[in-house]
Order: sequence, then structure tokens, then C-alpha cells
Amino acid sequence: MQEITSYLAPRRLDEALQAMADGDATVLCGGTDLAPQTESGMRQYKAKLLNIRRIAGLDGIEAKGDEVRIGTVTTISEIRRNPALAKIAPVLVEAAEHFASEQIRNAASMGGNLCNASPAGDMIPPLLVLDASVELASWRDGAVQMRRIPLERFFVGPGKTVKLPEELLTAIVFDRPAADFVGKFRKSGPRPALEISTVSVAIGARVANGRLSDVRVAMGSIAPTPLRARHVEAALEGKPLDTATIAAAVAGTADDAKPIDDVRASAWYRSHLVRVFVEEVLNDVRGN
Amino acid sequence: MKRDAIGSPIARKTLIGQRVKKPDAPEKATGKTRYINDMVLPQMLIGKVLFAGRPHARIVHIDTSAAEKQPGVYAVLTGKDAAGLKFGFVRDNVALKDKVRCEHDEIAAVAAETEEIARRALELIEVEYEDLPGVFTPESGAREGAPLVHENFPGNKSLSFEFKHGDLAAAEAASDFVVDNVFRPHHVTHCCMGTSCAIADFDHNGKLTIWTQTQYPYNYKMDLAPALGLDPGDIRVIQPPIGGAFGSKLDVYPYEPIAALLAKKTGRPVKVIYSREEEFRASPTRQAAIIHMRTGCSRDGVLTFRTADVLLDNGAYTSWGPTIPVIMMRTTSGHYRVPVVDFKAQAIYTNNPYAGSFRGYGNVQTTYATAQQMDMLADMVDMDALEFHLKNAQKSGEVTPQKSFLRECALAECLETAAKASDYSRKRKDYAAQRDKPGRYKKGIGLASSIHNAGGAKIHKSDGIGTILKVDDYARVTVITGASEIGQGIDAVVTLIVAEELGVPLEHVTIVNNDSDVAPWDVGVHASRTTFIAGNGTRRAARKAKAQILNAAAKMLDEPAETLELRGGFVVRDKCGTPLIDLERLLRRMHFQAEPELVMVTDYYEPKSEPEGAKHISDHSAAYSHAVHVAEITVDTLTGEIKVDKVTVAQDVGRVINRMGLEGQIEGGIAMGLGYALSENMRIEKGMLRNPCFRDYKLITAPEMPPLDLHFIESNCAEGPYGAKGISELPTIVIAPAIANALFNATGVRIFNPPMSPEVVARAIHERRASTPCASSLESERK
Amino acid sequence: MTSVETEIRFKLNGREVCLKVPATMKTLDMLRDKLGMTGTKYACGEGECGACTIKIDGKTVNSCLMYAVDCDEREVVTIEGLRTPEGLHPVQQAFVDYGAVQCGFCMPGMIVQADYLVENNPNLTREEAQRGLEGNLCRCTGYTKVLDAVEAVVEKNKCCGRC
Repeated sequence: MQEITSYLAPRRLDEALQAMADGDATVLCGGTDLAPQTESGMRQYKAKLLNIRRIAGLDGIEAKGDEVRIGTVTTISEIRRNPALAKIAPVLVEAAEHFASEQIRNAASMGGNLCNASPAGDMIPPLLVLDASVELASWRDGAVQMRRIPLERFFVGPGKTVKLPEELLTAIVFDRPAADFVGKFRKSGPRPALEISTVSVAIGARVANGRLSDVRVAMGSIAPTPLRARHVEAALEGKPLDTATIAAAVAGTADDAKPIDDVRASAWYRSHLVRVFVEEVLNDVRGN
Repeated sequence: MKRDAIGSPIARKTLIGQRVKKPDAPEKATGKTRYINDMVLPQMLIGKVLFAGRPHARIVHIDTSAAEKQPGVYAVLTGKDAAGLKFGFVRDNVALKDKVRCEHDEIAAVAAETEEIARRALELIEVEYEDLPGVFTPESGAREGAPLVHENFPGNKSLSFEFKHGDLAAAEAASDFVVDNVFRPHHVTHCCMGTSCAIADFDHNGKLTIWTQTQYPYNYKMDLAPALGLDPGDIRVIQPPIGGAFGSKLDVYPYEPIAALLAKKTGRPVKVIYSREEEFRASPTRQAAIIHMRTGCSRDGVLTFRTADVLLDNGAYTSWGPTIPVIMMRTTSGHYRVPVVDFKAQAIYTNNPYAGSFRGYGNVQTTYATAQQMDMLADMVDMDALEFHLKNAQKSGEVTPQKSFLRECALAECLETAAKASDYSRKRKDYAAQRDKPGRYKKGIGLASSIHNAGGAKIHKSDGIGTILKVDDYARVTVITGASEIGQGIDAVVTLIVAEELGVPLEHVTIVNNDSDVAPWDVGVHASRTTFIAGNGTRRAARKAKAQILNAAAKMLDEPAETLELRGGFVVRDKCGTPLIDLERLLRRMHFQAEPELVMVTDYYEPKSEPEGAKHISDHSAAYSHAVHVAEITVDTLTGEIKVDKVTVAQDVGRVINRMGLEGQIEGGIAMGLGYALSENMRIEKGMLRNPCFRDYKLITAPEMPPLDLHFIESNCAEGPYGAKGISELPTIVIAPAIANALFNATGVRIFNPPMSPEVVARAIHERRASTPCASSLESERK
Repeated sequence: MTSVETEIRFKLNGREVCLKVPATMKTLDMLRDKLGMTGTKYACGEGECGACTIKIDGKTVNSCLMYAVDCDEREVVTIEGLRTPEGLHPVQQAFVDYGAVQCGFCMPGMIVQADYLVENNPNLTREEAQRGLEGNLCRCTGYTKVLDAVEAVVEKNKCCGRC
């Protein structure tokens, strides 16, 4: 069993990245995933435990310009309560609203939710629908290096991302949606709260004259990673938002959603719920 | 000569029916209360258990040498250290096993300085198993040639029960309608917020002190002794505050003698405490069953017979679970007026987790069946549903086929009250008419009732309680009662009764009830008996004290004792309330007079009930009571989610004693029943629990609790304290079938196998729609 | 699993505390085992039941998930910190008065969470209180009287402010 030989709580990004450079650091922020996963033995600590919560510049939600930037340590509660996001990206705030419990929301970080890469990660479908990217920082050649990865290419499997061990996710960014962009989120679980969601659906599109364009549909808990539902998108892109289109979109879910049976729900029920939610959300958009 | 008044008259005031605060609430609200889980004793070691993690296996070899060598490890025990020390209802269990019969079998135990050291030591214990084929359903356990769970229980047969009354063939022939269904009430578990915990310590005389969460401290000694080879008289049971019990602490579980064996081996106190995962895996469950029930009635709505053929999943060991047929048959024969009854039950050993006692004790499972069958028959007969229930409701003075004497029976009043308050009859018709019309959300209303013991249950040699009461020189009262406080509020009831009888402030009453060396015997907290039995015991003891006090006062004041009363801390003239002497002064005078007397009284109260008996024909409780629930729901027919909008409750409580405590028990009982009905489910696959955590085992949360409209019917039970009856199990018993009936009303779908989870409901609705394209075809069965 | 120890310094119920904790230790265990403050309870250890709820810098979290090292330089409030020598905190008193306490095991977490909700929303409705308490499991009460108590505190605060 790995021993933790050092604990660090740096205040500067370059310090943190240098400590991570050998790939032997476990990142700590809210602890809401790290704690249960290490307790159960599902995950092992590396030699360094690196608390990133005090690093300057990793917090805050900037929404002034064309790009919205959410610092990685931003908690789900902060998302939920942010007035700017409520106007610009209500679909994200909606997901935050239904995320676990208040106690978890107050501690869980956005970066943590993404890096945990659960197929059921609640904040991911709305970010996919917002066409978000993540910023990854590392220390190389004596300097801070940054790269951006579109969120859609960030996840490779349950719990797995393209982030390298020496990289730190520093921010989530997305372009401020167009004025006619409408985004909706719907999820379930047997409970209003505290369920790791049985199924979630987020839909975003530009709506003009009853037609949808720039359609993004994202789903959680129906595949090894949250994903963009391309078949559903194709059924909606450029189409008038009418009954026939909605039916086609619902039918398209069968090609995108490949859920499994597990202790929480059966594949049948997940597929069923996805159809119900896609229809519900589209009718909701239509109602707007 | 008549005494002068020493103050203005004190009016009669009663606490009965008032809202009385729970005496231990302030300490609990400030976090000051030391629960057993919080206790630390000097020199205490931590004990952890190695569980088998497989359902059926031979233990080939255990090597504990590496574990024993670990610094900080003081003892490692295995099956050889408990060999021959059999305990349990049928002596089929030992603290540490020599064979694996279920996934939570205790293979080894470690005592160490810290929990972390103990856990690491467990990991170093090497066990070689030879897996054996297992049996995971009672049907497969009963099959010819099935692997045996216990070699000395052939055919895996555990307990069996039977009760018959009347001519079944004739009753069947006389029936115009018969409903015949199989119900499969499932495995759920208590989920007490405080996980299982015991601390054991031996003194130099070999006497054991065990701090335990038990809710039956006296018989517990008798049950624990054989697991340790001790004399029950050498066991002292101390009951610290606990985080809930709900029936789970009515038996001895292996971790308790394990704590004692570790304490014996190390010579130090040892605390064994479960993590939540261990709690899920290793605690007793509610008894799961397969109930094949048939109920018949005549065309004019009179019940003709009820039969139940029950198969129980005994699990690996026999605890209270397989004894629930004793109550299941009472419901089968006594839920409404049933002239002919045929009940049989057989428990079969399996390699599944085993069941204990759980609030409702077999009545939850049985009423899920009886109340749904009543609802089904109500749709078949040509009468209003409520009328059908009323027609078959017993009246005061009736006796059931098992001789339960319904001295004060308020079933009809409960039915009428709940139905009226909820507008049941009209809504039931309206919602049924909407059922197959288009629309995603459907409303439904469902009614269910049940009958349960409300004055104890004489399944032991005694159903009584001892009470010792003293009043000191400062008019402070101490009640030393056998009644255990497990969070249900008996402390408030006892305090209230003493204050009521002796006219002292509530704050001047102290209760001592947590040390078997001090407090007298009580059979335990079960069968909704505690307010009834302990209430009567307390009242009797308090009245003995009062009689002694008033006799002394009568002599001193030269006034007849019958004209005196205790009120507001004084001896008063009863009729006018004139205070004559301060109670404290009187007590000191009694103490320091020429022939001194202290007020110290004892009482043993045995309720007037009959022992259960092997034939099960006996008036086994001192009272019975009923509750009716009307549940109103909205069903999302697409997702299958049931939202409970409101529950109307009418319960015969006999008499309200502590109104606030009564409400709290009903509210909490309903929440537990809602979990049973809608979301709680132990997913046991091939003997292994797949969801041992709150994330995947869903308890009801605050947003899911519906508004409740509570109606207390006071039937004034002659035998009960101030007329009160026991109340705490009925709320958990009645709610689930009320929801099931509401679901049928809303959607035409009936769920025979709880829980009615969203997926189960969605599938059932989906299948019904697929198989009944013309929904109105169902209407032909109804008028 | 051994881990390096770090010294942390933080405010606990208004008083400065300084101690060494292992890097992997959770705040719940630090409170209960190192500081003897057993008011905060272990009931699941995985952030599902809320019995371990404490306040950190004014926000409630599950202390079973929060690493103790992260308490450094912060303000922690536990159930023990709510009452004053003069008496119970208004939320505690309401829980007692309205019969919200039965076995009481979940109550420290429930009360800390209820206090946080009331503090942050003077117009808290019953429905909002239900949602706000969804992370606090109770097996005894069915939540009804917990919500009655919270409503009473909100009402009282509206009428005369914090007494």
C-alpha cells in the first residue's frame, strides 16, 4: 500500500504544477470523490497529496466577455447561485440544482466532477451541450504549459480521461451562447436527490422561427462516458420543432444510448427514460 | 381540626393528551449525549470481524499467524475459540464459524489498539475456502437433494406453523368471488442511524459487563449466556443511548459474544463496531416471504374465507424472522371478520442473510396481501368500496377465530373517519374513470387497514414489567423501570404519568432503566407494548406511592385520605383544590418522624392476556387496535414515479397520552412504511448483497414525506393506562398496501412484489398498455 | 496505510485549535477521535446521510468526506458550537419544543444543516427546507416535526429577529 510521504497546499499554480511534474501527486479539492474511492480501495493514493484549493486564480466564474470561464475549484453551489450563469447558461445551473445534496454541492468542485469522469457525472451533459472545453496545465521546460481539449474528446471510458498524470485541470471554458440559444436539462434517479443519476439528458439549440439549428444533445448514464448523441442531433438539426421531428429524435436515441443493466436500473428502463426525457425536453423547448 | 389553606386553590389539570417534551431531547440536540457508538473506556481495544464474503463454503484452513504478530494486535480468534458454544432460537449459531453458511458469517475476529490496526490485521488473516453449491431461494432449498445449510436440519426445514378454523371446502363452495394471488414481500433492513456496536468487559470474578444496543435486556442475558458458556446471572447488561433499533436488537448477534470473547482473551474492554457497509451486510433483515393468499366473499359482500400458504426464506440461521407466522396468522384470521381460515407457513434454510424482528413483525408482509385482496374484492361486489369494508369490520366485543378478544374495536370508526376526511369514495370512482384516458399523470386514492396487538403479546412466559419508584425528601421522584428507551419516547410517557399521578413537575422525575443490575425485569420493546405495559406499571407504582403519601397526610392533617389529592407539589383537598401542606415538607416529616417512612414502592404488572400456546388459540394480547390509511398519489405513467400527495390516517389509539410523541411515532412509522413500499430493496444475488450503501439502498428523504392528516380515535381501552393502546407498528404496516391500492386506482396496475419502484411501475404500466389496447375492456368487470 | 502528518491551525467553534493530523484523516475522525468531540456522528462515511454535517467557513459539508488538512486556516462550527452557556440555540430549542428528536442520532447533523438553511434564507419555505434537508437521513421521525421546528424558527425570526 502506497504511503503518502508529503502533503502540499500551494498558493501558486507553478508550485503546484512543479509538484505534479513527476506524475506522482493525487489532487485534492473537495474530497467528495477522492474520500469514498480511497476508503473503498477503488483508488490508491500517490506519494504526494496535493491540495489545490488555495491556489490563486483557480476559483471564480468570469462571464463578462464572449468566453465564459469557470475556475476548476468552483463548487457546484457556486454554479447554482451564480446570477450571471443563470442568465447565460441556465442549463448548467439546472444540473447544479439537482446535484446530490447541499452538503455535497458546497464541497464538490467542477474540476473534480469532470476528472472523476463518471458516466453519470451530472455536470457533464450540460457542458457538452454548451460545447465546453477544459484547460489542462502542466509544468514542462521550466514553464507552465496549457492546452485545451473539447470536453467531447476529454472522456475515454468510465473514470478515464485524456488528462495526463502531470496535468491539472485549471478551468472549464465555453463560448457565451447565442441570444436565441435554449438549453434544458432533465435527469432522474429513484430520488430527487443523492442518486447517482439513472439517466440524464441535456439539449441545447438555437431556436428561430420554430426551427432548431446548432443542435447539441448530451446524455449521461447510458454509455461508458457521457456523450453527444449524434443520431438524435442529426434528427433535429435544421428541422422544424414539430411532432414528427420529436418522434424522429426519440427514435434516434436507440442509436446513441447503449445502457447496461446494473444494481440501480436495467438497460430497458434507462433506454425508456432517455426516450421520455428527450421528448419531454423537446416539448419544453417547443413550449418556449 | 381542619387545616388552613396555605395558598390559593389549585385547579385540576391533566397532562394526559398534552404535548410533552422528550426529557433527553435537549442533550441530544446539543450533541452532548454519549451514544454507545461514542463511548471510549480506559484501556479499551477495538474489535473487528472478518466476514466470509461468500455464501456457502467449507473452511479448509485458517492461518492467523501474520495477523497475531502485528504490533498493536492483542488477540485473534477463530471458530475454534467458539466451538460448541451454540446459541440462537434453535441453537444453530456460534459466534465464530466452522463453516460458511452466508456471506456475513464471522470467520475470525481481531482486537487491536486502533481500528486501523485491527483492519490491517484482518487483511493478514489467510483463509482457504472450498466453495460449496448454495441455495438462494426457499423453493430451491426445499427441493429434494438440495445442499444442506445445516447438517442437522434435513430438507433445510426450519420452523413451521399451522392454524385452521372452520370448513374450508364449504366456505369455498359458498363463495361467489375468490381472489387468488402470490405476494413476495422482499428483504429490507432497519438502517438504524447508529451502526451495531457492543462493548464487553470482564471483572476479576469472571462477571461480564456488556454495553449493548439490546432492546430486551433481561432475556438477552439468557440468550447470550450459551454463546459464552456463562451463567446468565453473571452477565450485567448496560444500555447506553442508541441510534435506533426498530426490532433489530431483539436477539443476540454474533458480534456481541465476539466482543466478549475478545475481552476475555485480552483482559481488556473490547468495542466491536460496524461500518455502514458491515451494517448492511451483517444486520438482520425483515423476513422475506412468498405468500399465496386466497380470500373469498359472497355476492352480497360478506367474507367467506381466507387462506394463506407461506414459504419463508429462513436465511442461514434462525432468529426472530421465521417466527413471524405467529402474527401473520393473526392477521389472516383477524383482519376483518373471517369465518373460515386456513394458514400454514414453512421456513426453509438458505444461504441468504437471515431475518430478525422488524417493526410490524410479519404484519407488514401479510397486510400487504390482505388489504390488496380486500380492495380487489371491493371491485367485484356490487357495492360501494367503503360499504364493503364496513360490512366486514368487526365490532366491540367480537372474538376472532384465534380468540383475540376485540374488547374495544374501532375499525368501523377508523374507516368512516379516514374515508370521510379524504373524500375517498368519490375520488376512488372518479380516478378509476380517468384511468385509461389520455394523460401522463394519473391520480389515485387507496385505502388499507390492519389490526395489530396493542397490549403486548404473550409469546414469552411473562409479558410483564417491574417498576420501582421512590420519592425523596425533596419530592424528586425516581422511577426505576424495566422499560427500555430506544428512541421511541417511553421516557416521556413514564415521566408524564408520574407527574400526572404525583402532581410533581415533569423536570422532577428521573428515570433509571439502563442497567440490568439495577432495574427490574421487562420482556422488552416489541409488539407495540411499551406505553401499554410500562404505562400501566408506572401508573400502578405511582398510585402505590400516592396512597402511602396520602395516608401519611391524612394522619397529619386529620382529614380522610379519600378526600385528598396531590396537585402542583402540594397535598390538596381534591374537591376544591385547597393546598394543605407542601409535598416536600410532608415527605421530610414522614422521613424524620418517630416511626420513619420513606416512600419506596415496587410493582410487577402482568397484563391480563393468555399465553400464545401451541395451538395459537388464545387472547394473547391485552388489547388490539386498528388503523386505516387513505393514500392519495400522483403517478407519472412514463417514468413510473409515484408521488404521495397526502396520507389520511385514522388510528385507534385508545387514549392519547403524549400527543407529540404519538404523532412522532406515527410519522416515523409511515416514513418507514413508505420506504418499504416505494424504494427500499436489498438486492441479494446468490447470497451476496449488491447494494450495501445508502447511495443504492434508498431511504425516504425529507422532500418525499407527504403531508399527513392524523385522526386519533379514542376507544378508551379499559385495560390500558388511562385507556391507551399501543400504536407504533400499525403506521408501518398499513401504508404500503394503501399505496398499492392507490396505484391500482390510478393506473389499473397492481404490484404484488414490493417495492413499487419507478422501474417496476413503469414496466407494469408499459406491459398493461401493450396487452390491453382497448382499455375499456377492463371496465366490464366493474359496475 | 501510514501518511505524513501535518500541523493545522484553525478556529473550532470560535476558539483557535492547533494539532497535527495525518494527510488522509477526515475531519469527522479528527473531531471524534483526536478532539473528543463526539457530537458529530459517523453513520455512513460516504456523504449520503448527513449525520456528520459541520459548517466550514459558513457552509455545511459532510465532514466524513472532508480532509482534515483542509481545515487549516478556516473556521469550523460543529453541533457543540451552537449552544451558548445561556442556553440552547434557537434551532436546538425548536427541535426540542416541536418533538423533532427521537433517538437523536441524526440530530446534530440535521440541526447544523437546519441552522445553515435558516441563516441563509430568512424566507425559507417548508418546501425549500425539505429540499435543503434532503442530504440528512432520519429513520425515526419521518421529518415532519423537523420541518415544523424549522418553520417555527423562520416564523419567529421574521417576527422579532434573532432573540
